[in-house]
Amino acid sequence: MLAGQCCFKPATELYPGFAGTVAAVGALPSLAEGHRYSRTDRMAMAAARDAVADFDGPASDLRESGIVMASTVGGLSEIDAEISRGPAAWYRQGGLSRAASYPVSRVAASVAEHLGIEGPTCAVSVACASGAMAIALAANLLLDEAAPMVLAGGSDALCPFTLSGFNSLQALDPEPCRPFDQNRKGLNIGEGAAVLVLETLARATRRGARILAVLRGWAMTNDATHPTAPRKDGLGLACCIQRALEMAGCGIEDVGYVNAHGTGTPLNDIAETHAYESAFHGRSRPIPVSSTKSYFGHCLGAAGALEAAITITAMQTGALFPTLRLTDPIESSGIDWLRGELRRQPLPVAMSVSAGFGGSNAALVFGRSRA
Amino acid sequence: MKTTLPVLTGIGSVTPYGLLAGLISAEPLEPSVITAWSTPGLRRAFLVETFRPASIVPGLKTRRLDRLSAWALVASSLALRDAGIDLSHMDRSRIAVFFATGFGCVELTAAFYQSAATNGWAGTDPITFPETLSNAPASHVALFHDLRGPNVTLSSKSFAAESALLQGASLLRLGQADLAIVLAGDTLTQAVYEWYEAAHLLAPACFSNGPTFSADGFIPSEGVVAMVLEPAGRQTARSYAALGAGRWAAGGDVQAGVRQLLGDVRPDFILCAGNGAPCASSPVSSSACTIAGETEVIPAQAVATGMGEAGALLHLLLALSKRPGQGPALLLGTSAHGGFAALRLELF
Repeated sequence: MLAGQCCFKPATELYPGFAGTVAAVGALPSLAEGHRYSRTDRMAMAAARDAVADFDGPASDLRESGIVMASTVGGLSEIDAEISRGPAAWYRQGGLSRAASYPVSRVAASVAEHLGIEGPTCAVSVACASGAMAIALAANLLLDEAAPMVLAGGSDALCPFTLSGFNSLQALDPEPCRPFDQNRKGLNIGEGAAVLVLETLARATRRGARILAVLRGWAMTNDATHPTAPRKDGLGLACCIQRALEMAGCGIEDVGYVNAHGTGTPLNDIAETHAYESAFHGRSRPIPVSSTKSYFGHCLGAAGALEAAITITAMQTGALFPTLRLTDPIESSGIDWLRGELRRQPLPVAMSVSAGFGGSNAALVFGRSRA
Repeated sequence: MKTTLPVLTGIGSVTPYGLLAGLISAEPLEPSVITAWSTPGLRRAFLVETFRPASIVPGLKTRRLDRLSAWALVASSLALRDAGIDLSHMDRSRIAVFFATGFGCVELTAAFYQSAATNGWAGTDPITFPETLSNAPASHVALFHDLRGPNVTLSSKSFAAESALLQGASLLRLGQADLAIVLAGDTLTQAVYEWYEAAHLLAPACFSNGPTFSADGFIPSEGVVAMVLEPAGRQTARSYAALGAGRWAAGGDVQAGVRQLLGDVRPDFILCAGNGAPCASSPVSSSACTIAGETEVIPAQAVATGMGEAGALLHLLLALSKRPGQGPALLLGTSAHGGFAALRLELF
């Protein structure tokens, strides 16, 4: 991303007969019991293992951790359309164990099994806002003292089901996507997983942990407007952003960067633009916004977690990633569309914003640790 | 009835017991014969009878929805009706929806696969696709009732309903919402039933007329239960119970975990949830008895156990409907896969 590279390839390389452009993770590490796990599970397990690789606290804390994993695809990647011709026959022909990975709860359970975690474990499935909501719910678990720390994130694999679904909705851009561009044509599906380790600031400070960022505020709202389309005026998302800032104790001037949902679809990007215009109205200088889906596509349930990780990376490195291929931005007021060259600036506070089918919105406010 | 805890003020249910606001009869049920798809012989399950949602909730349009979404709409409407809540006086952006499900919208997921098998992946139905998403039921509840607060769909191996209940109550305690509608449910489809059968998880009573409790498997069930939670002091109507501290865990020592949760409190009742484990041999009963001592144990019922990880709200509804009495209680779920869920309650 620092080099401005994206990772798209033609969908036909993976799924012959499918048009469009996708971003795929390469080969995954092999697992001794790999046959029991879906691709979504395996990506989640790999990301979670990396997330705790440096954990040097008591083993009991890791064992008692909570897990909140987001996914919309779950084990759909393991099931093919032949199941519809007769489930019993498909199960007899080897589908039984593949179908066992279907429930999204398996994603969280797989991480728990892989790392020997025994705390509260759940999966969140709120379409494309899932990943951000997993982090918000994990934070609530910490406030409730339900676990000493929580692994929160998301994972979703590419699969024909979702590619076909978005294709049927005519939501796919056949070329690499152009979020927030006036000539945007849709989204590219990606896949991936990201897991964050959350613990209370007091506990992390006490044990001398390396604190990557402080989650200062979070909020979740719903548009209650349409089953798939966002509210056109963006007010549901704007309300979500305002609530998160309120919880964070931040004003609109404090935010240095917004990692946007920015799918590249005509409807989402215009609604989201209105949301930023409304939420940051009155700010003395334009709010810097970019969509990093232009690098790796829309990873659905994993998107919010991946983008939270990128927001934290931006804060740590001072690198504000521009939206790729954004040449003719949506007309707006008060928004500084990040495009072209990578910009570097100190970033004490940044936001990650997500939205999804069903009208769901989520916003996370991160701050740098003073520790 | 004075409490500082979130309280349960409304219940709506679409279950094999029927479509009801408030408590239900809780009489033992006999499974129904499956006729919705062709079976190789007698196959039985606890099924929701077909009904027209608009006859229960006027104006409801559900023709293109998964049954799970339609049932969630009906159950949430019945629960709000039971709670006697006038939403027009509330800040809709502070009303949350938590929906727990094991499998999500499997009926339309199957239909989408069917369209792919028939027309190829390039010929699938754009109307069906969004309705296959697991969060479609909760989204429709928000859309129909104009609820603009947090809207979360979750799943947790064996404990989805309990975790939704705990997280809904947590949102109220943390001041992130003024009211929460917690729903849990699943539908039974051919693909789900035949998976259970292929995995040898079904009780003998699924294949013949016989006793419904069995150590050798469970009888699948379906339905949606909705519960309205309000912060203490806000509710004006009667309450069923107050929700205290709770825990759910994927593993560990059940008894130690529950004892830690209870502290010095001795529950008068333990309401058992079975979570898909074989009914008679459920580890719930033995754990509950060991923890309970002289405490009265309200056993799990097969119809709720068969609903799997979304069944705990039906367990709770059935236990409340038995009207065991007033006082401290514990909703306890354990799973054959390990782990537990426990929630302290104060029954009114």
